[in-house]
Amino acid sequence: MVAMKTTLQRIAVVVLFLVATTPLIAIAQQETPPAPAAPRSTTLPKPVERTLKNGLRVIVIERTVDHGGMPLISAQLLVKNGGEVDPPEMAGLANMTAALLTKGTQTRTAPQIAEAIEALGGSINSGGRWDSSVAGVGVISSKTPQAMEILADVVRNPSFKDEEIERLRQQTLDQLRVAMRSPGQLARFVASRVVFGDTPYGHLLTGTPESISRIKRDDIVRLHTTYYRPDNAILIIGGDIKADDAFKLAERLFGDWNNPATPLPAFKASGAELLSKIKPRVLVIDKPDAGQAAVILTRPALQRTDPDYFRALVTNSVLSGFSGRLNQEIRIKRGLSYGAASIMEVRRDVGPFTATAQTKNETGAEVAGLLMSELARLSSEPVADVELTPRKAVLIGGFGRSLETTGGLVSQVGALALYGLSLSEINNYINNVQGVSASDVQKFAGSRLGSKDASIVIVGDASKFLDKLRQQFPNVEVIRAADLDLNSANLRRAGSTEAGNQAVKP
Amino acid sequence: MRRFFIALLGLALLALYTFSAPVASAQTRVPRINFKERTLPNGMRVISAEDHSSPTVSINVWYHVGSKDDPEGRSGFAHLFEHIMFKSTRNMKSEMMDRLTEDVGGQNNAFTADDVTVYWEIIPSNYLETLLWAEADRLAGLNVNNENFLSERDVVKEEFRQSYMAPPYGKLNLLIDQKSFTTHPYRRPGIGNIDELNAASLENVRAFHETYYRPDNATLVVVGDFDQKQLDAWVDKYMARIPKPATPLPRVNVKEPERTKEARYTEYGPNVPLPAVAITYLAPSAASDDAFALTVADAILSGGTSSRLYQSLVYQKQLAQSANSFVDLREDLGLVQLRAILASGKKPDEAEAALLAEIKRLQSEPVSAAELEKAKNHLVADRLREIETNNGKAAAIGNAAVILGDANRVNTDLDRLQKISASDIQRVMRKYFSDTNRVVIYYLPESMRGGK
Repeated sequence: MVAMKTTLQRIAVVVLFLVATTPLIAIAQQETPPAPAAPRSTTLPKPVERTLKNGLRVIVIERTVDHGGMPLISAQLLVKNGGEVDPPEMAGLANMTAALLTKGTQTRTAPQIAEAIEALGGSINSGGRWDSSVAGVGVISSKTPQAMEILADVVRNPSFKDEEIERLRQQTLDQLRVAMRSPGQLARFVASRVVFGDTPYGHLLTGTPESISRIKRDDIVRLHTTYYRPDNAILIIGGDIKADDAFKLAERLFGDWNNPATPLPAFKASGAELLSKIKPRVLVIDKPDAGQAAVILTRPALQRTDPDYFRALVTNSVLSGFSGRLNQEIRIKRGLSYGAASIMEVRRDVGPFTATAQTKNETGAEVAGLLMSELARLSSEPVADVELTPRKAVLIGGFGRSLETTGGLVSQVGALALYGLSLSEINNYINNVQGVSASDVQKFAGSRLGSKDASIVIVGDASKFLDKLRQQFPNVEVIRAADLDLNSANLRRAGSTEAGNQAVKP
Repeated sequence: MRRFFIALLGLALLALYTFSAPVASAQTRVPRINFKERTLPNGMRVISAEDHSSPTVSINVWYHVGSKDDPEGRSGFAHLFEHIMFKSTRNMKSEMMDRLTEDVGGQNNAFTADDVTVYWEIIPSNYLETLLWAEADRLAGLNVNNENFLSERDVVKEEFRQSYMAPPYGKLNLLIDQKSFTTHPYRRPGIGNIDELNAASLENVRAFHETYYRPDNATLVVVGDFDQKQLDAWVDKYMARIPKPATPLPRVNVKEPERTKEARYTEYGPNVPLPAVAITYLAPSAASDDAFALTVADAILSGGTSSRLYQSLVYQKQLAQSANSFVDLREDLGLVQLRAILASGKKPDEAEAALLAEIKRLQSEPVSAAELEKAKNHLVADRLREIETNNGKAAAIGNAAVILGDANRVNTDLDRLQKISASDIQRVMRKYFSDTNRVVIYYLPESMRGGK
């Protein structure tokens, strides 16, 4: 429940990585701000790791109370597959499987699991993502062994009772009903299909009403048996715990977890080739009752392990963030939106670049044009150093803040481990960002992030912006919200007709 | 809130800003926050806490003015004004705050609540002096032109649309305050409305700054990597030179009358997928003694998935997809709220009856020792997470100093909460959750209008 006036953005604080050059803009006014003092250095956390005999990788990041931490721990058990292994007709299977972990084991019911962890002052969550499924606990550190025992139980011994499957199915259907009514969420669902079509990242992680209704207990058990195994999992524990104690605990709770005899399904990156065959679109989902238009620009980008990763991050930072170009042009200069931002989502295979803003229906076309022209400008002219240096500082500062809570620390380390990257990348992050030059950004934008391969999706009241949008993009397709089919790559319900000019005239 | 990035990947973590008092558990040492407090000759209160675990500093400036102080006919003004505070000042160009924070790896933001407006920065600690200068500068005087003002007013109108028009249950958030208070200015939603935002002028901005943005209405909180002596010297240099005006500070002293009978409202929204039910009761001020027992009762009702509302309405009866309680206590008085978004095929009166049954149960049966302990453990853990960061500590200190009226409460409230007993909970449940103190709101899909 978020009433603006009673909300506080809970943020993590800067662990600081100082940017040595400190640009202060010159101001020709009465008084200038005092210059900064010399920057102070900081130490970064050092993860340590062991691999158990069964192949389970265990990573520990100590931040004990003696060294300024809070008496808290966070732990995650990551399984290295998620929604990308959903069978095409069963979108949402991996997410449902993961969500059911905490809904009953061989020895505990769902209410017993909740009661046990919450009595410890802790919480437990599980869910599916792209490329991974995760179960996690956060707890007061004096209760770590008890909480970890529950975590091990839910991952290893879920019961997948029919009653819980039905309950989750109904809850998921209702959550989808709510999500589909929000222009912003609906636009993101549509954007995935537009970029990825029928390829493994194209469907909804949560599934659609149709696919959710198809999933049976056998499908869930099969996915769990296939992918939830120690040689396909990583355990990360961070916070107020000694590494030796954490390793002992991991051995006791997961040491006798056995791998099945069957080999793990192999992964082969094929995204780049498959996605090149999908044509960009300009697509309007006409939703006459939308209180605002949600505008998205999206296109395929790159894999997490791509050598261009840091060039991609810095390029995105030029566009995104409060003072990034998108927000400068759309919010600060023109007052067209509460906020415009972009994100470079990297995955095991090629992930999407997505830029987004919500605006009043009347200015939907103008915002789409601005998103497109800002993407194009990245490759047509170099970024000046006075602009690039602060945008790198934003990345470095944000990364530092993400490491300041135990939960954030565990997530960052988990993201490196998931893709087989060296954990020391945490310590190289600053150098990697600083090493990206203005010409790297321009080259990357030109060769990997061109605007001609970008798609536009707008969910809103089309009668208010369609004519203007057509002037910029003659190939606009319009689908009425009632005719939208998220199960299919072309997104149009079979038998429905193109909503033309007449259908959307006010 | 000034800025909001669309949560593509949960980029923006929004958490309810409510009174959430902590508790010291027998097994867990909750670190005390060691702070220093002083008042400058011009009336500014300054509270600081050194913490050298990272080379960063968090600055919070709490102004004791909020949405309840919106001028007549200018609903939403305090929040619009908060946005304007990032435009040009005597010595800074528009958005210079971002140059001094974001551009060097820091962060800034602000939020407007009913009673306060809070500006904050998280910065590398070598920038502390720079930011103290900058906060002093925008307190000393704004220098905003009409072009800046109009474009920022458009941003706030988009914030209104994004937060309240586009989301399916946005309008319900406005209705809660509008229907829960009859007289007190808390009845006016802090975001305002498009008409009254359109009526706001640059002259209103000047007058509001002059009236409320003064050192004796501000509390500066600094937490992190600094040297106390050095901080004191900088505060003396930049903050103490701002004069204290001779004019009195206006204060809202409207009293909300007690409720004498239940009130019921049914409202409709165009974009609502499933009915929602909200129930509110008038409750005491955040600083009141009863706030402790209400906070523990709230944790018992909806802290986690083993809580009573989740177990009853969501899990067992499957009447609702979500069911929550909120202890929404403010400076002058507050609300306790229950809200449920229904599961498909269920009726609002079924959900209402189930919510009220849980209230009745808490009134008639004492909670067990185990359930009480669980609620307290839940609150301890929340508190620990809240003060994991410098900015979290600064926010907790600011809330204690300004809303609760005593900065020491950031530490002492832990012990008070720990002492809450089962009978305390029963007592406050009976006192506040009475039939005559109830407002019930049904928020329904437009398609249900006319009794369908």
